[in-house]
Amino acid sequence: MKDTAAGPRGERCRLAVDIGGTFTDLVAVVGEGRSARVARSKADTTPGGLEDGVMAALKVAGLPASTVSVFVHGTTVVINAITERRGARTALVTTEGFRDLLEIGRANRPDLYNLAYRKPRPLVPRRLCYEVAERISYRGRVLQPLEDRAVEELVEPIRAAGVEAVAVCFLHSWANPRHEARAAALLRERLDVPVLASHQVSGQWREYERASTTVLSAYAQPVVSTYLGSLARRLRAEGVAAPSYAMSSNGGVCSFDRARANPIRLLESGPVAGVVASAQLGKRMGAGDILSLDIGGTTAKTSAVLGGGVRVERGYRIEASPLSAGYPVQAPIVDIVEIGAGGGSVAWVDPAAGLHVGPSSAGADPGPACYGRGGTAPTLTDANLLTGRLDPLYFLGGAMGLDLQAAEEALARLGQQMGVGAGEAARGVLRVAVAQMTRALRLVTLRRGHDPRRFTLVAHGGAGPLHAALLARDLGIPRVAVPPGPGHFSAFGMLAGGLRADAVRTRVGRLAPGPLQDLMASLDTEALEELGAAGTGASLERHVELRYLGQEHTLEIPLRPGVEGEALVSGLREDFDRTSRQAYALELPGVPLEMVGARVSATAPADPVPWGASRQALQEGVGEPAEDRRVVDLDQQGGVVEVAVLGRSGLEPGRELQGPCIVEEPAATTLVLPGQRAWADPDGNLILEEA
Amino acid sequence: MAWEAPSPDRFTADVLREAFLAIADEMFVSLQRTSQSPVVYEVLDFAVGLTDARGELVCQGNGVAGFLGPLGEVVREALQRSPDLRPGDVVAANDPYTGGGTHLSDVAVVRPVFFGDHLVGLAAAKGHFTEVGGKDPGSWTADSTEVFQEGLQLPFVRVVRGGEWDRDLLAVIRANSRLPDMVEGDLRAHVACLEVAERRLLELCRRYGTEVVTGAMGQALDRGEHLARVALGRLRPGVFEAEDGIDDDGLGHGPFPVRVRVEVDGSGVRCDFSGSHPQVPGPVNCSRSGLVSGVRTVYKALTDPQEPANDGWFRPLSVVCPSGTVFTAERPAAVAAYFEATEMATDLVWKALAPAYPDLLPAGSFLSVCSTSVALEHPDTGEPALLVEPQAGGWGATGTADGQHGLVSVGDGETYVIPVEVAEQRYGILVERFGLDVVEGAGAGHHRGGRGLRREYRVLSDQALLTVAFGRHRFPPWGVAGGRAGSCNYVEVVPADGSEPRRFGKVARMALRRGDLVRLVTGTGGGYGDPLSRPRSLVAEDLADGLVTEEEARHVYGWDG
Repeated sequence: MKDTAAGPRGERCRLAVDIGGTFTDLVAVVGEGRSARVARSKADTTPGGLEDGVMAALKVAGLPASTVSVFVHGTTVVINAITERRGARTALVTTEGFRDLLEIGRANRPDLYNLAYRKPRPLVPRRLCYEVAERISYRGRVLQPLEDRAVEELVEPIRAAGVEAVAVCFLHSWANPRHEARAAALLRERLDVPVLASHQVSGQWREYERASTTVLSAYAQPVVSTYLGSLARRLRAEGVAAPSYAMSSNGGVCSFDRARANPIRLLESGPVAGVVASAQLGKRMGAGDILSLDIGGTTAKTSAVLGGGVRVERGYRIEASPLSAGYPVQAPIVDIVEIGAGGGSVAWVDPAAGLHVGPSSAGADPGPACYGRGGTAPTLTDANLLTGRLDPLYFLGGAMGLDLQAAEEALARLGQQMGVGAGEAARGVLRVAVAQMTRALRLVTLRRGHDPRRFTLVAHGGAGPLHAALLARDLGIPRVAVPPGPGHFSAFGMLAGGLRADAVRTRVGRLAPGPLQDLMASLDTEALEELGAAGTGASLERHVELRYLGQEHTLEIPLRPGVEGEALVSGLREDFDRTSRQAYALELPGVPLEMVGARVSATAPADPVPWGASRQALQEGVGEPAEDRRVVDLDQQGGVVEVAVLGRSGLEPGRELQGPCIVEEPAATTLVLPGQRAWADPDGNLILEEA
Repeated sequence: MAWEAPSPDRFTADVLREAFLAIADEMFVSLQRTSQSPVVYEVLDFAVGLTDARGELVCQGNGVAGFLGPLGEVVREALQRSPDLRPGDVVAANDPYTGGGTHLSDVAVVRPVFFGDHLVGLAAAKGHFTEVGGKDPGSWTADSTEVFQEGLQLPFVRVVRGGEWDRDLLAVIRANSRLPDMVEGDLRAHVACLEVAERRLLELCRRYGTEVVTGAMGQALDRGEHLARVALGRLRPGVFEAEDGIDDDGLGHGPFPVRVRVEVDGSGVRCDFSGSHPQVPGPVNCSRSGLVSGVRTVYKALTDPQEPANDGWFRPLSVVCPSGTVFTAERPAAVAAYFEATEMATDLVWKALAPAYPDLLPAGSFLSVCSTSVALEHPDTGEPALLVEPQAGGWGATGTADGQHGLVSVGDGETYVIPVEVAEQRYGILVERFGLDVVEGAGAGHHRGGRGLRREYRVLSDQALLTVAFGRHRFPPWGVAGGRAGSCNYVEVVPADGSEPRRFGKVARMALRRGDLVRLVTGTGGGYGDPLSRPRSLVAEDLADGLVTEEEARHVYGWDG
């Protein structure tokens, strides 16, 4: 499927390719300045060899390889290697007395009443966890010196065990990495496998979280290295000579080499780009706080973007759920919450005849019943189809026909279990799915101390625009924005995010100007060094992690630019007190502040992406339906009614639509409810508001 | 906004069920964010929920396994004692002996929600307050002899009337705490989360009508009961018994024998604790609420661990026990360490049923919260520091899998052990070791028990005071179906002056000096099945992983490789 034609030969283009679970999306910005256009294409994701899908998407887009000036890649290769347990045979080397770091973890039991709860199994078995006699104190002083011999003695056993990657994590390497660096260097000299030292992966304290992150990164390293190497070769073979970047979890991009050195950076490679794009869209619209909502085939991903900046969070855990503690990752990752509800989520009835949707999903294969690929389970997509909200002939712009009868049969079987017909079952599935998503979205904002009613909802992903109006109404969110090409919005975001490096370090002590400025200076240097030559002219964002003395929880406070000395500290005090009051309704005026760490983010902005050009591209678009009407079951929002159906490219600025209506474009359908109005803003974003 | 009033139909109950859970979520987040007590915001030692107008709990949010029961009870007691509750009133209670009481540190608040003049439900929250007075700082103590030493008692008093705080009462509460700002902050945080619930419930009433909302509450309760009965119907019926012992009461008395008889059949589960030891002088008693809460934990595990709990769920469960036992203590029995008895109640029922349902209920675990507190002066800053933490330990094997190493106890839940790097910085102690404790032969079985942990603290300050309450110090975690028992929890202090090490399970305010070593050791969980039948390949893996010694492999597992 392809959205626009390629530009004339010779025009340079910027390319982003995002691999998702079902589709590999390509977005290209062709040309520069006012004449820039946006092209999009899609190809099936090829799980066997992801680079095949990338090359296929490239082919579909029909862009001449020689015109590519930059290539940005979002990939699931890291998360797949980890969740499918296809990583390297990894060893851990740690401080004597602490071999069981991974076995113990934090010892929590999230599934409270499951007395047969099982912890996530460590990725390194106990036999491959080695100890070395050495000790550094939390102040960075050497308590017991490291002897080279102690490390050298491990070489033979590690080699004999067939280890393919090594993680080194010593206690307090965040305070003084000398021992850890020495041990890693010794192992690197003597072993021909990758060796990752924890201080290179994270400069923060909490030994289990740091060790876990280092192990995950080492575990994924050989797979990622092979993949990126192979992709780079194939791109070159096709004639793409442009510099290549990978989308990083921190919301920026990094070079393939940087990604290979510490693959955990690529953990949320794809999804964060959608948040970056939402944040930039919000800024452009002057919208204030944004709730980014990306509903795909299996899950919905959401992130609260406050005041225009993507939030980076610290408590990330892979595979964490109410049933499992997961594996912690101590790296700057854009704050995304995943909800187990997507188009493929399966509806089911419990023994008390209660209706539920998800978390299990029919995925892409066999997919919803209506895909006609052998799936028989009733899904959210089937319910949308049966209620007429989706057009069976216009799914993915008509590239894929949907089987209405299969959907009806699946929902009829579901309905039988509740004593209702297929239509009623479909309405029930939609209501329950919306109730579940509403609950999850509310929690995302409330957990961060904000009322959802202040937000603008940016809906993207294949199924986001279809549910946005219902969710916004349920949550009391006043405004929804659907960007052009919502199914490609993540890939678009990859071109919008710049090169970015984060330097994060733990430093504990009373808040005072001297130590703070020293720490900041060293973090500035670290972040800029990582960007290298590209970092010239980079902007720096500095945050300090603070708490009231005696507290455990910290808050990250942005440093006011250009302020020094006592003014710096008093400014932080003011900002901290205010933030604490907002977040926790707690202010302790007499209590001193403690600094726990700091983060510097250096960003070298990307060339501006042409937001308005998206609309231009749309006008050139092919394969949109003519204006039409069809009967849609809106259930509690107006019952069964005939509504207008419009092709998105026909929606000129200034034309206002009254709900109920449906706006269609390749890869997405936007539902507008009765009582809502919709229009295209000058950039071509579809805006929905309550009338 | 153009809202069409939805007609109540077959799916409204499904939607409202989500909405009720959303209210519990929101109360939970609100309390966690606003509380000033680390025990609340870190350990999540609290519960929040919503009941119907009769005090039947409709939905609940909690972070630890306990508190499965007190919310409904405290609301029913509040309704009974104060039939004249009015909009904007808040009742506070921590009476240990009635209405969902546990110990004085756990304070409950209840607020009625009126739509017009119609009582549609009540919101309740109960959490661990850091300081409610009593003889020892922090209120929790291991050697009290009556409740009057344990803190201020709040016998269902109205702290807020019609939206106005009772300033006199607040003054009394403040005056009785060593940390008056914190106790007031905690109380206000708890009350604030009730207001959140009221707001949301009223929104639902406006949108759906009170009749639909209260109807959905009833449906949620009936649904819980139905699902529980379906789950019970899948269990093999039978009558099961178990006996065990509570080590001691912290004052040198004990052990105290306890027993249970459990009947399981299609109609329900009955647990009879008759014959258990009378209430004891030290603070390890629990009241009937603690007993019921403890039993509910196993019942929930047995029926469906994940389905949200409500009072309907527990209708098929009955708990019988004469008054005045260690499980049903009466005023003024000491109850500060009530969790010792509550955990034992959980464990007794678990022990009785585990052989019959080995996939749901593993063999015995280290069980005890193993509360540890060290009060000292930070050697680097000279400031006072108080380390308070639970320990993690070994869990038993199930009929299908080995037990888990190092997990927090059944009484804890989403509770995290403190990182070594954080503990050293914060408390100025040196952690010399934190790892699995391999005890030869303990927990051996076809499926092996999980290993307990060994955490070692070197005291670096001039002096320190150690208080610990490690249960299962005398009676190890039990094995199932021929699996061996696990090992006991203990604390060992190795003095720097070379004098004899001391080993114990409980101690209050023991003086430590610079250089002393404190070993906190938790037990290995029980094994399942005959160790001789464990596949050789697994024994070989355990050997490679150092989880069994060679000696143990040969003698216990019949290894001859």
